[in-house]
Amino acid sequence: MEYPDPNRHGQHLRGLLVVVGLLFLILFLRLFYLQIASSAHYAQKSEENRIAQKRIKARRGLILARGTNGVSEILARSRPTYTVTLTRSKPDNDARAVEALSLATGSPEIRYTRSGRTIRVLRDVDFRTVSLVLERLSEDWPLDVMVESERDYPYGPLAAHLLGHLGELQEEELQALRYKNYTPGDFIGKTGIEKVYEDLLRGEDGVAYIEVDAMNRPQSEFPEREQPPEPGRDLVLTLDYKTQRAAERALSDSMTGAVVALNPQTGAILALASRPTFDPNVFVSFQAQEERRRLLQDSSKPLLNRATREHYPPGSTVKMVAAVAALETGILDTLGTFPGCGGSLRVGSTVFHCARKEGHGVLTLQEAIEASCNVYFYHLGQSLGFKAWRDYAERLGFGRPTGIDLQPEEELGNLPTRKYYEERGGWALGHMMNLVIGQGALLATPMQMARYTAALCNGGYLVTPHFYAAPPRREYTGISASTLEKVKRAMRRVIYGDQGTGRRVRIEGVEVAGKSGTAQAPGRNTDAWFVAFAPFDRPEIAVAVVVEGGGHGGVVAGSIARKVLEAYFGKEPEAEVAADSTDAAREEGSLMRLPGATAGT
Amino acid sequence: MRLLRETDTALLWAVGAIVLLGIAMIYSASSGAVEWQKQAAYAILAGGALVAVIHVPNRMLYALAYPFYLVSLVSLVIVLLWGSGEDSSRWITLGPFSMQPSEFAKVAAILTLAHYLGDRTVEQINHYKTLFGALVIVLPPIYLIIRQPDLGTALTLVAILLPMLYWAGMNPLYLIVIIAPGLSVACSFEPLWQGAAPFVFAAFIILSSLALHLFFARLWITLSMLGVNVAAGLATVYLWEHLLHGYQKDRILTFLDPERDRLGAGWNIIQSKIAIGSGGLTGKGYLGGTQTKFEFLPASHTDFIFSVIGEELGFIGTVVVLSLFAFVIWRSLHLAAGVNNRFYRLMAIGLVSLITFHVFVNIGMTIGVMPVTGIPLPFISYGGSALLTNCTAIGLLLHAHTYRHE
Repeated sequence: MEYPDPNRHGQHLRGLLVVVGLLFLILFLRLFYLQIASSAHYAQKSEENRIAQKRIKARRGLILARGTNGVSEILARSRPTYTVTLTRSKPDNDARAVEALSLATGSPEIRYTRSGRTIRVLRDVDFRTVSLVLERLSEDWPLDVMVESERDYPYGPLAAHLLGHLGELQEEELQALRYKNYTPGDFIGKTGIEKVYEDLLRGEDGVAYIEVDAMNRPQSEFPEREQPPEPGRDLVLTLDYKTQRAAERALSDSMTGAVVALNPQTGAILALASRPTFDPNVFVSFQAQEERRRLLQDSSKPLLNRATREHYPPGSTVKMVAAVAALETGILDTLGTFPGCGGSLRVGSTVFHCARKEGHGVLTLQEAIEASCNVYFYHLGQSLGFKAWRDYAERLGFGRPTGIDLQPEEELGNLPTRKYYEERGGWALGHMMNLVIGQGALLATPMQMARYTAALCNGGYLVTPHFYAAPPRREYTGISASTLEKVKRAMRRVIYGDQGTGRRVRIEGVEVAGKSGTAQAPGRNTDAWFVAFAPFDRPEIAVAVVVEGGGHGGVVAGSIARKVLEAYFGKEPEAEVAADSTDAAREEGSLMRLPGATAGT
Repeated sequence: MRLLRETDTALLWAVGAIVLLGIAMIYSASSGAVEWQKQAAYAILAGGALVAVIHVPNRMLYALAYPFYLVSLVSLVIVLLWGSGEDSSRWITLGPFSMQPSEFAKVAAILTLAHYLGDRTVEQINHYKTLFGALVIVLPPIYLIIRQPDLGTALTLVAILLPMLYWAGMNPLYLIVIIAPGLSVACSFEPLWQGAAPFVFAAFIILSSLALHLFFARLWITLSMLGVNVAAGLATVYLWEHLLHGYQKDRILTFLDPERDRLGAGWNIIQSKIAIGSGGLTGKGYLGGTQTKFEFLPASHTDFIFSVIGEELGFIGTVVVLSLFAFVIWRSLHLAAGVNNRFYRLMAIGLVSLITFHVFVNIGMTIGVMPVTGIPLPFISYGGSALLTNCTAIGLLLHAHTYRHE
């Protein structure tokens, strides 16, 4: 078996040594590159590997209303809830961790979305689950418990429409907000105050740094590097709690309509109620999906804020526009009269009726407002003309945004232009007859009516209704003080005059002025309106009330306006005050279901 | 004991140092769990095997080469039928012991090839019949090992064959004939070139044909190599599309682009590179590797033990380990070259090739220059079968050295 190779060993050995040498050179150079040339880069990667960031949720700010004796009432607060989270790694690791959780807690099937680093697996869990996860599962799985705040509205539906509601952040929204540090599954304000002041309320989430292993199981923490969360700001709204409560109660659940109360000087909103209503807690609870769906599909639109998002023909409450216009343009003075009211007026071939069939006879402007005589205003409208009337209606805020800080944005109502009529069969004098008594194409939101009332009583300034922040600027309507004084006196006669349509709105010890409206609306009984302000000399509150299909304005809406004013001035009858202080009712969230005095007394 | 005193102690010291370092690193990688003790026990066993192999009577290995080979084939069949393993069947379990027949098969194949090639003259070596015979020896175990499936170990047998043929006196031309289709495969492999494969392949075909023609100046060589290369390239495309397993494709693709799926198949390579790179010059200190401690590094005490060395002992540590291996290989090559007996010499070359291939492929894998193949680092990675095989290989080398004058 000996076959000596002819002197080729040396050459062969050299060949193999060269190959081996080349292989080792490759390894050496690569190691030099990794460990010397780019070691800083890999050191940083290793650090990132080890340190996981954990979000510490900021507490969402409270929403409060002004209460009595300087004590604020909490309308929206945050209660802590516990969410089981999973730090994302490989898909099969995630699946096994969730399976272990499901097994331990007995939750049958856990659905989760694998997006973001921290996945919310189970929300709003009880303490048993919390301790189960923290004491047993987190040892072996990258599971953790995150404290989140769940929104809680202790008064239930009280002020629901202005507070708005929260909703889970959707994937599309996340795209739009990607610079704002939201994560999927966060709750975000969807409507109302919760949406408008989202940035103030949510605060700034903090970050904790935790050393983790490859399975993301925590190893140790670095408290010195932790960035604490910055809690959201607590918003004390301009809302006056007892006025709001009275408004909610006066506007009974069976009604459809809205109440708005403003501070006429600043535009601060004192109360805002809308019917039908809803309980915003439904939108944050993980259990109330069925109720949520029902609300969204309800044909009576309980989510609609009728104070700003619905418009109505304002009826006789708008008669002051014509009065102001006539006085300002000088076609009339307070004592000027027109041919007496005989219950109706024929213009061309059309007969326009007055509310009182037998007629009011000959009236002054003051008397005409007090008795709400339509015939007087038909005459006034004819001599005034569309252009002048429309000019003053616009100055008083009709057809224009009020600038209120609410979402979704307000309805603008309708103040028709000449063009509007030309597009719809042409202008006729009959249109003027309708506009001047608040019928026809004229539409306004309760909020616009409250603002208009405020402008009449505050010296002619259009305020910007608001819930929070410094009162925005006021806009001068250009209406003279003497004109406004005459109109205000007329409105006082509505309450205190013998013929007054608002005699129900008298309050012990406070001088009130106002105007009723009974507007015809298609497909239902007349809408009941009432606008009012008080006290007469130094107005602190302006109110607008509408009840859809409520019948006579002075009766139905007037009663509601009275209750709101009574509450504001602390003049409520003893029985109601007693009922108010029942804390049990408040806690149950059943405040709204207490039997309120029915309208129409 | 006389033989032990006369043997090459420098090689033994180097191997001993590597094994001890391995046990220390296994201790660190498995956070002090029982693995290091088991490995120490294996080391004693393997040391015994090493000494025993040196003392095997002369010519006995030559006589037993073919029987060993048959036993290894049988055990490879057994492991396919009754073997165990996580996602492949590589282990035969006998009571508390489990062994990897593929480890044994490597040594058996080397002995058999040494026997077969050693019996042939240089003229015979350069005859196609001998090459055919050599292929008949290696292809059955390669096939059986691929079926496990264990691509890396199967490739080891190819890596052993080439240097042995070279040492046996095969004309380098023929080696080129064998290697060129391999290069052709690489050039036609689409994932490697990202859309440019047709151009790269065409360039390779033209340039290699040109080089062959200039070097050998024989038209028939040039034309036949052209045909072989083109066929290999086309076969690659077919193989990739139709024959490879998903996980095999995954491994290859991951090798080419570790960032492909950060938490999936590329994870191992990325974490290993981070571990080694973050070690820097001096390392994070023994037992101080965060990649290891917090389990970012997979299989840290087996396939990726070198990453632990890189992370904890730094560039200094990795260079020391590289130097130790380089010394062992250099020393072994010299020992092999000094052996007169053709069987022993070929066996020694085969064994050095085995160790060299494992060292290069394993370390190359941890630093991202070779695909993840599941080949352990000789003497260091945790695992009794491999340690036993590698120590036996050293023992066989020293055995050949002992009888170098025969």
